[in-house]
Amino acid sequence: MTPDEILTAFKEKFGAVITDSHVVERTVGTTAPRPVYDVWIEIPRAQLPAAVTYLCDRFSPHLSVISGDDLGDMVAFNYHFAVGWGERYGEITFTIRTRVPKDDFHLPTITGLLPGALTSEREKQEFYGITIDGIPDGRNLFLPEDMTIHPWRKDLEEETQKSVKRIVKWEERDG
Amino acid sequence: MDSDKINLELGCTTCTTQTTYSVPIGPVHPALKEPIQFTFRLSGERIVGVDIKPGYAHRGIEYMGMKRNLIQVLYLAERICGICSISHPLALTQAVENAAGIEVPPRAQYIRTIIGELERIHSHLLWAGVAAHELGFDTLLHLVWKVREKVMDLLEQLTGNRVDYAIPIYGGVRRDIPDEKAGLAYEALSYYKNLLQDMINAFLHDKSVAMRTSNVGVLTYDDAVALCAVGPTARASGVKKDVRQDMPYLAYADMDIRAITPEDYGKPVVGDVFDNIVVRLLEVDQSIKIIEYCLEHMPGGELTSIPKVAALLAVLKKADGEGIGRHEAPRGEVFHYIRLEAGVEAPVAWKVKAPTYSNLMSWVPKFMGDEIADIPIIAASIDPCMCCLDRATLVDQGGGEAVKLKEELVKLSREKTRRMCG
Repeated sequence: MTPDEILTAFKEKFGAVITDSHVVERTVGTTAPRPVYDVWIEIPRAQLPAAVTYLCDRFSPHLSVISGDDLGDMVAFNYHFAVGWGERYGEITFTIRTRVPKDDFHLPTITGLLPGALTSEREKQEFYGITIDGIPDGRNLFLPEDMTIHPWRKDLEEETQKSVKRIVKWEERDG
Repeated sequence: MDSDKINLELGCTTCTTQTTYSVPIGPVHPALKEPIQFTFRLSGERIVGVDIKPGYAHRGIEYMGMKRNLIQVLYLAERICGICSISHPLALTQAVENAAGIEVPPRAQYIRTIIGELERIHSHLLWAGVAAHELGFDTLLHLVWKVREKVMDLLEQLTGNRVDYAIPIYGGVRRDIPDEKAGLAYEALSYYKNLLQDMINAFLHDKSVAMRTSNVGVLTYDDAVALCAVGPTARASGVKKDVRQDMPYLAYADMDIRAITPEDYGKPVVGDVFDNIVVRLLEVDQSIKIIEYCLEHMPGGELTSIPKVAALLAVLKKADGEGIGRHEAPRGEVFHYIRLEAGVEAPVAWKVKAPTYSNLMSWVPKFMGDEIADIPIIAASIDPCMCCLDRATLVDQGGGEAVKLKEELVKLSREKTRRMCG
């Protein structure tokens, strides 16, 4: 599979909905260098289930993890997939990014399409305070059940700091 | 893929009928690496549900990392896991190098690969010993762990440490493997090559091991794919997923590496604990060959593209971009995402994904339908980087309660072995 194949397929299917897309080519190997590719696309959250459905139907993706990036008034969520696994040099990382405003902090679940996403979705809920609509199990996973702070939200830093016990007094930066 | 096959309703902390009861296991036991709590729902001896609660060892490492400069983050990453203590630095350095556009000299790529594969050998041998112990086969545990010492000694001779090797730095490595040390590595590889067949015989041709692990803790191919399983856990189910093969990096890009499945041992894929043993033992042999290739083809040249730490920090502070770093750790794919902003020393976003994170949900189908006495070996089968078979509290509908210690569970497991062996 080539990065153009997957990117063209997505552009044909979703067209103008894709707000950003780019391919990063990296060279690996010391004796006979070859390229490997990271593909990035950005879509509105409403299109996320359709995009993941299309990905599952066409490309048998592996979801590595969902990462978050607090940008101030919104958080970008990166769904890091890998497609084309199973063959030497066959794999391409395919990241679907969607930005979610903090004043309407919801994302649809993709666990109905890819059950393995549950761990990552539960983690995003507890660490960012986002609501994953339709999540089959919304309990805290890594944080205690009664913990309500969201440590990866930069605007809630003060609240997070209050809950951190300072073990090393001379280290002022770890909070 | 058919998501209906996967039971996502894991919550089962309360008993609902007279015929089922719950068995909480964990979260703390000093004999195990990390704590985790399982709550099993049982019908008689059979497991009919399981709820898994990790997080007891969550140290907020990403939170801390986003307040520190990248050199300090590297130290933190090395301490995410004591066994995969080069796997996280390898993924992190690649993520940062991709984000900042830093080149890595060929010799450094080979040295990183050698240490990464030595780590795989010691990790798989550690796991094999634990698996033998959980089955009540302690002579095999002691044999395997005695054999493992050789690779630990070699790691100490090459890096100065048995764990936390402090080898990767952004742009290269911190230590060379000179010729005289390469000789030590060849000697250790020869030692393992001579022993490997004995270990395969001890594990795979032993009647009691086969009886206790065959058709136990089964993960089907479809479930492994749907649950995004990684590493030997996925490969034992026939999923040919291995970052070293799929998207080569470092010296792996110069070699013909293939994902190992039970078919490579000439047996059909079942996805049970036995297949997990097969895959890991064959991967020890694969690691030996990779290290031999690296030693024989080691390129000359520099160890790092930016030798001075102050200059490196200056380059990193100017970097602006995002990057992904992946490494096939002994337990599976380690993934790091990082975003850097020019003028900011700390990463503005950092996400770490360890293999057990991906394999967590694989436990659910693996446990279903098996017996209490199989819990220790199934829990161990994914080689978790956290687990605790500390104590179990049996709660029945009448309010009765009994505490089961880890020792009692292991005893149950051993009794089953004896029973099956007649």
